[in-house]
Amino acid sequence: MVSYIVMARSEFLRALERQMEVAEGALKEDQLLSQTEGWDSMASVLFIALADEKLGAIVSGNQIAQASTVGDLLNLVGDRFTP
Amino acid sequence: MSMGAYLAAIRSALPEGILDNEQLAGEFEGWSAEKIYTKTGIRSRHIARADECGSDLAVKAAERLISDTGIERSSIDYLLYCTQTPDYQMPTTACLVQHRLRLPTSCAALDYNLGCSGYVYGLGLCKALIESNQANRILLITADTYSKIVNPADKSVRTIFGDGATASLLVASEQPNVTGPFVYGTDGSGEANILIPASGARRRREPDAALVADDSGNARTVNDLYMNGSEVFNFTLRIVPDVVNRLLTTAKATKDSVDLFVFHQANGFLLDHLRRKLEIPREKFVVCMERIGNTVSSSIPFALQDCARTGKLRSNALVMLVAFGVGYSWGATLLRWGDAELSA
Repeated sequence: MVSYIVMARSEFLRALERQMEVAEGALKEDQLLSQTEGWDSMASVLFIALADEKLGAIVSGNQIAQASTVGDLLNLVGDRFTP
Repeated sequence: MSMGAYLAAIRSALPEGILDNEQLAGEFEGWSAEKIYTKTGIRSRHIARADECGSDLAVKAAERLISDTGIERSSIDYLLYCTQTPDYQMPTTACLVQHRLRLPTSCAALDYNLGCSGYVYGLGLCKALIESNQANRILLITADTYSKIVNPADKSVRTIFGDGATASLLVASEQPNVTGPFVYGTDGSGEANILIPASGARRRREPDAALVADDSGNARTVNDLYMNGSEVFNFTLRIVPDVVNRLLTTAKATKDSVDLFVFHQANGFLLDHLRRKLEIPREKFVVCMERIGNTVSSSIPFALQDCARTGKLRSNALVMLVAFGVGYSWGATLLRWGDAELSA
């Protein structure tokens, strides 16, 4: 069984930035996804992959479609983060 | 003596036309050839000509198989044809192919409509047909030209799918290698996530359909293939580990006893993720799509043929096949790779 890395919200955001190939700090929690550089259908796949790999959470595309900000996105896996 | 199914040979055919990442990068702003490769694991795909159908590729693949194995056409008594891009809605493409291959009129022939899960279902059907004495020599064909159902302005699918066909020969044998077990799965709730909305009796093709762009800038009409990439990705994460474990449990086998894992070649990013998730060593995990893309039901037989050719598949190797996709539909089996191609 794969053991998952314990991760804080901010660490996860940095990992997502690396996956999306955007600058460190480019993603902010209060930012609207629709106004976020690099946020597209491929990025949502990257998010699902990262949530699965780092947190062991399987997020659905429809859940992601409901999220309006970067913070909403993280809230989908909110209970998996370390405080 | 009870007979079982032996997978004796696989041959394939690709259209000559090539669509490479350089061309795609030129068409889609903000994408470089290297980025497409990083995100898909694909550098180029083969694309059929406007007048070239799946059946044309299928006939080429089958002719290669017949010529290389020396099998008598008259001895083929069953033709299974897996496609989602048939020549016509009717007649059945398998019937056209029977005629073009000059197979006997005593030969059974049928299409079955499955996408990426198709090859495993085909092998399962071949096993059942041979073991129940309904067939002795089966031609199992997979053939698709998704390029004809992909909108050129939809990079989400255009970067991934490639055209091609494969032909496998399955013969009745006292030493079968298609022995299963087989495990299957279906979840039709995935209907809306990979489909062509206007493509059948429920919604006829609409000649004047509007081109509509989605949030990611990919444009298509209701007559074109639509794939919800994140929902499909979610589906594979949910079912692939489960089907692998179900197969191992049913077979009373361990992951370590499997010599080679051949998954449906969906895209490089997904395959790499699944390999790491399932903790399969890289050297046992086949990735064979760099030059052909995702060839739907042909991807597994293409990979098997390539592994046999390059020596990665050794005689008596235990191979796990895992196929999953549109439907949703999925299946997996274990195969003992044969030591020699049939030369009859």
